[in-house]
Amino acid sequence: MDLSFLTVQVLSALRQAAFLFLISSGLTLIFGVLNILNFAHGSLYMLGAYFIYALTLHLTGPAGFVIALLAAPLGVAVVAVVIEMGLLRRIYVQEEIYQLLLTYSLVLIIDDLAKIVFGPEYKSIPKPDAISGAITIFGGTVPVYTLLVLGLAPAMALVLWYLLYKTRTGKIVRATSSDREMADALGINMSALFTLVFAFGAILAGFAGALAGPARTVFPGVGTEVIIESFVVVVIGGLGNLWGALIGSILIGTLETVGIVVFPEFEMALIYLLMVAILVVRPWGLFGRPLKVKALSDKNLGMEAQEISPVHFSMHPLVRLIPLALLLLVPLMAGRFYQYLLTQILIASLVAIAFNLLLGTTGLLSFGQAAFYGVGAYTVGLLATKAGFTPLPALLLAPVSGAVAAGLIGFFCVRLSGVHFAMLTLAFGQLVFAIVYKWYGFTGGDNGIQGIPIRPLPGGIDIASTQAMYYFALAVVGISVEILRRMRSSPFGATLKSIRENSQRAEYLGVNVKLYKWAAFVAAGAFTGLAGGLYTLMEKSISPDMIHWTKSAEPVLMTIIGGIYSFAGPAVGAAVFIVLNSYLVAWTENWALVLGLILLGMVLMLPGGVVGFINEKARGALTKRGWVRKWLFSKSTAS
Amino acid sequence: MAYLDLNVINTYYGRSHILFDVSLSIEKGEVVSLIGRNGAGKSTTFRSIIGLTPPRTGEVIFKGERISGLRAFRICRKGIGFVPEDRRCFPDLTVRENLEVAARREKATDTPWTVERVYDLFPRLRERERNLGSQLSGGEQQMLTIARTLMTNPEVLLLDEPSEGLAPLIVSLLAEMILRIRKEGVTVLLAEQNLHFCAKVSDRAFVIDKGSVKYEGTMKELLADDGIKEKYLAV
Repeated sequence: MDLSFLTVQVLSALRQAAFLFLISSGLTLIFGVLNILNFAHGSLYMLGAYFIYALTLHLTGPAGFVIALLAAPLGVAVVAVVIEMGLLRRIYVQEEIYQLLLTYSLVLIIDDLAKIVFGPEYKSIPKPDAISGAITIFGGTVPVYTLLVLGLAPAMALVLWYLLYKTRTGKIVRATSSDREMADALGINMSALFTLVFAFGAILAGFAGALAGPARTVFPGVGTEVIIESFVVVVIGGLGNLWGALIGSILIGTLETVGIVVFPEFEMALIYLLMVAILVVRPWGLFGRPLKVKALSDKNLGMEAQEISPVHFSMHPLVRLIPLALLLLVPLMAGRFYQYLLTQILIASLVAIAFNLLLGTTGLLSFGQAAFYGVGAYTVGLLATKAGFTPLPALLLAPVSGAVAAGLIGFFCVRLSGVHFAMLTLAFGQLVFAIVYKWYGFTGGDNGIQGIPIRPLPGGIDIASTQAMYYFALAVVGISVEILRRMRSSPFGATLKSIRENSQRAEYLGVNVKLYKWAAFVAAGAFTGLAGGLYTLMEKSISPDMIHWTKSAEPVLMTIIGGIYSFAGPAVGAAVFIVLNSYLVAWTENWALVLGLILLGMVLMLPGGVVGFINEKARGALTKRGWVRKWLFSKSTAS
Repeated sequence: MAYLDLNVINTYYGRSHILFDVSLSIEKGEVVSLIGRNGAGKSTTFRSIIGLTPPRTGEVIFKGERISGLRAFRICRKGIGFVPEDRRCFPDLTVRENLEVAARREKATDTPWTVERVYDLFPRLRERERNLGSQLSGGEQQMLTIARTLMTNPEVLLLDEPSEGLAPLIVSLLAEMILRIRKEGVTVLLAEQNLHFCAKVSDRAFVIDKGSVKYEGTMKELLADDGIKEKYLAV
């Protein structure tokens, strides 16, 4: 390796680290103070890049570029203030997951708005001549712009350090991130501070976007790539810790550069492997500490938390059979399109109900369920194509592989909870995605596998026909859902609920909390894998898209839409989601925007979900009319 | 009307009712003790006053103005300082920074508390100025939380079990400091289990048990009343 090559590589690694640091420092700062993991942070980065693009269309020359570089982040800050004051502020007292979902809905909305305003294509941002050339250092050719980035990013880091450690406001920010309530009692205005910190974090993201835009390109959806990288950085460094973000950025920036040179196939996977290695030794990241629950009292932010009441009624067994009977009759009434749609809903329901065993029952927010879905789907797809398996044995192995994958991943994840758990599952999901996406020899890489041969079932039933597939899926999903239902109301399920309510007390009662969490994770993984296998049988094709993290968000959305505290809620949510999705896609190109707005509305107005809402309304009516209750519902059981 | 009045307040944590019709009145310049066992409702009373757990009914009146219903930072800015029982120094900030972030209301008095003045009151903190909050001993942490709250220039100081878990020597030092703080014109409401400590610093006392006030009188009367002590304070 010669010196010129080394110089070029080192500088490019540092440039990458610089961008990563700018983004993740804002992310970690916002998390540290607001305790919110901002999914929309990548979208703010994207806005920074688009803003400088729009500005440089009008402002030319070096002076114009400088003005644009400074104005773009400020524009992003304005957007952030609107978001914080208009939306986030209303839900600080709700559970973490609603805050996550709100920022996720913003990802959908902002990305789609960007597509409407700027178009779907890649945009490149022109640089003034003065900084667009290259110079030679130690024989290596280095773009001048890289040197500019390497000057500006550390300068920004210094500014950040100065603000946090040398100004009173900065000290207040640090104080608040360790004890909000105490800061409140000492006369610090939390609302104003939150707005300030959110806006400042957005400036960092916007600056990163504005600086990176001219070096890279910008397109709608770049945010969802950027956000994952910065999640990895802050998880490695320790959530909420700035030094962690710095070290994490340098590690990841270096690894990405080395990876591209040495293992071009698995550069992406390497990053996640490093993360796993670090978390095995230090579950809270290099500089992280276990999070204490930072309780917000009701009036802390001038509002009361909305109480979400668990569902107290359970259906009479006969009543429960009504939907099943209706589902059996569907093909007599509905055409192939509706049968296909319903098959999709059945599969999605299984994923969502299995997911809710983690979220609603155990209180674990997994953001990596797509991995198990994909593993199950690929198991069936690969067995059918490469080993000539018939559908039944292939499908039976799907939950097995799902369970094995969940067992391995769960082993690392169940030590954590809350946001840490969500991020780690997310990252593991992306690790699986990265492997499948690049392993051309085995998985077909980004092309996936099309035209998977699906042979008839024993007895000559050809599930290649829509109707047969529908009945087959109904049987498999029906049995699985019944097993999950029993699991939830068994002593095992009761133990999981006790962990959700108070894992510490459960531990004191002698419950092996990690083991139970692990068991729930494996069970959910198995059923998700099974659902993935069904998907392959239905679609006869597989692609890595189904493992991407945005796919992991779907069961989360379905469950929230339907309601997390009822068993059937996620299925209702799945139906709403699939129907919405297929009609929105047919009706408008901007379905993501509409979906985002719906989700936003749900989070703000119906935190109990559709079923929770109906239940709330129904409860009043039902308690008044004893006979309805007696007929419809058997005993009441607290969820 | 008294300086600080709690009028029949009822406070809840979620669905559990903690304080039942609690009424207290404190005059300017007093040191008053609020005495009771663990779980009697002392901390909840303080949290109700400072607004961290606002009372659901009843009101808190300070200098003739209703403060219940305001958010905690507003109540602090009105001149009420809260020192929580579990100390809660900011662990990542140095001693000096812990004091700096709390500085407030400098114009409220003629002789505002400054970092230098609280160092004079707690010389030990000056020595440990550059140490992080997490590196202090229990006694030092207690001094720092009191000093930090003094930096907000309170007119009423709510001290929640300051003597808990401290060595006897430090406790008597603490008693001296409370008397010095009182001399500066600060009204002190002290929640305690340690009767002797209360006797050293306060003139009047309320006894609280199971969320309601059971006794009100001078410290002297309370010390003489074995029945009350037996019933509500014996462990």
